[in-house]
Amino acid sequence: MSSANPGLAYEDTPPLSAPLRFFLTAPLFGLCAGLVLLLGDGVLSSRWTPGALAAVHLFAAGFMLQVMIGALQQILPVVAGVRFPAALGVAGSSHALLTLGAMGLAGGLAFGRPDAIIGGAVLLLGGIGIFLVAALAGLIRSPSVKIASHAPRDLRLAMAGLAVTAVLGVALALAIGRGVVLPLPLPQAVDLHATWGWLGWGGILLAATSWVVVPMFQITPGYPARFTRWWGPGVLAGLVSWSLARALGADGASSVLGVTLVLGFAAFALLTLRLQSRTRRSTPDAPFRAFRMAMLAILAGLAALSCNLADDAEHWSVLAGVLILHGGFGGAISAMLYKIVPFLAWLHLTQAGIRAPNMKKLLPDTPVRRQLALHLAVLAALVLGVFADSIARIAGLLMITEFGWLLLNMLRVLHNLKRARHT
Amino acid sequence: MNMPIVDARGLEPPEPFERAMEALADLQPGQQFTLVLDRMPHPLLRMLDRDGYRHDVSFRDDGAVAILIARP
Repeated sequence: MSSANPGLAYEDTPPLSAPLRFFLTAPLFGLCAGLVLLLGDGVLSSRWTPGALAAVHLFAAGFMLQVMIGALQQILPVVAGVRFPAALGVAGSSHALLTLGAMGLAGGLAFGRPDAIIGGAVLLLGGIGIFLVAALAGLIRSPSVKIASHAPRDLRLAMAGLAVTAVLGVALALAIGRGVVLPLPLPQAVDLHATWGWLGWGGILLAATSWVVVPMFQITPGYPARFTRWWGPGVLAGLVSWSLARALGADGASSVLGVTLVLGFAAFALLTLRLQSRTRRSTPDAPFRAFRMAMLAILAGLAALSCNLADDAEHWSVLAGVLILHGGFGGAISAMLYKIVPFLAWLHLTQAGIRAPNMKKLLPDTPVRRQLALHLAVLAALVLGVFADSIARIAGLLMITEFGWLLLNMLRVLHNLKRARHT
Repeated sequence: MNMPIVDARGLEPPEPFERAMEALADLQPGQQFTLVLDRMPHPLLRMLDRDGYRHDVSFRDDGAVAILIARP
């Protein structure tokens, strides 16, 4: 039996402000992506338009990356017992670099400024590097505990995916901005960067988080161990093989591996939907339903991606991007934020010895339900906007409202937290 | 001795944590209880360490985590 150990005090877990700064900055990037859609011309007509490139990076390297890095700083201590060295310093410096980097990169892509593209990419790499080094140091320092879950291992795999994505991103920035010659054609290098980003980093992270968060907050049975044991390493091995096949020009092998990866991610989404159908909740709440819609959007996005393998019409890749990024990751991230942020506020109050109010008092259901309904309306407008520019502008306007509202709902939790502190 | 068991499985956070805190509040010096959860509660373990409780974690065959908590 272990005894009292002051060195393990939970003050070692990141203070509330460490993840919160990421969660509060993230919606601003979603809002900016909406602005690009509103003000740009024909943004969704192709994946290669300056507006589309800027919007994708505002969403993926801005909104998604901020939330994911913030959530990892919270989830690694809770799930894997990792203690970040200098938690506030790491949060502060990586947050500043990631914020400036995403702004620079997206601005550079939107306005065709090579120096801003390179500067943004390097700042992003710096922010990611600081976070990854701190996480690695925390993992080495953490006590070895037997954990009956594959989440900690898969979180590490996702972080490896993030490192690959960031390095490929900087290589692409140098190729575009300085004419550095890459060992493979530019469109192929972009495909590698994008696929490592959405699947190697985002997809594996979403799955690893789901192994814990879905059974915990949605009261479902756990993911079967025989599935979680192989899924993360299988996807990563598939991704490495697909990348090698693409780089070596082995088209047949890369097509087979590409389809296998699509099926693998679809299996995760389908299994999540099946577990959700077996929830012990009597009435699913709004984040539960939003997570289910996110899985359906991912499946639709993967279908669009499969069509793109057979038919290279521009709209398939844009549709896949809209469905997977906004519908899938955007929906799942919003649903998770609505669980994580009130829970962190509750935990913060409890640890401070303050009687915490009920979670529903920290964040009532109604604004959450309405904001998540708007998220679906934005997704529908984005899908239609792929085929009609005027609707893409409406989608942009709605998206600005969606992310402004998400930010307001987060601020509402903080307001209620402050009130609880002073009563 | 009949040792109390607090089964906090199948509950949405923060209810398992609240159940554990209620049981801890009732615990007298020399007493102990077993907390059964769906997963390893790292924040709770750190809190137990900070407040001087003794604890012993074991994994059950059904995947649940059983934590024997004692007040010295």
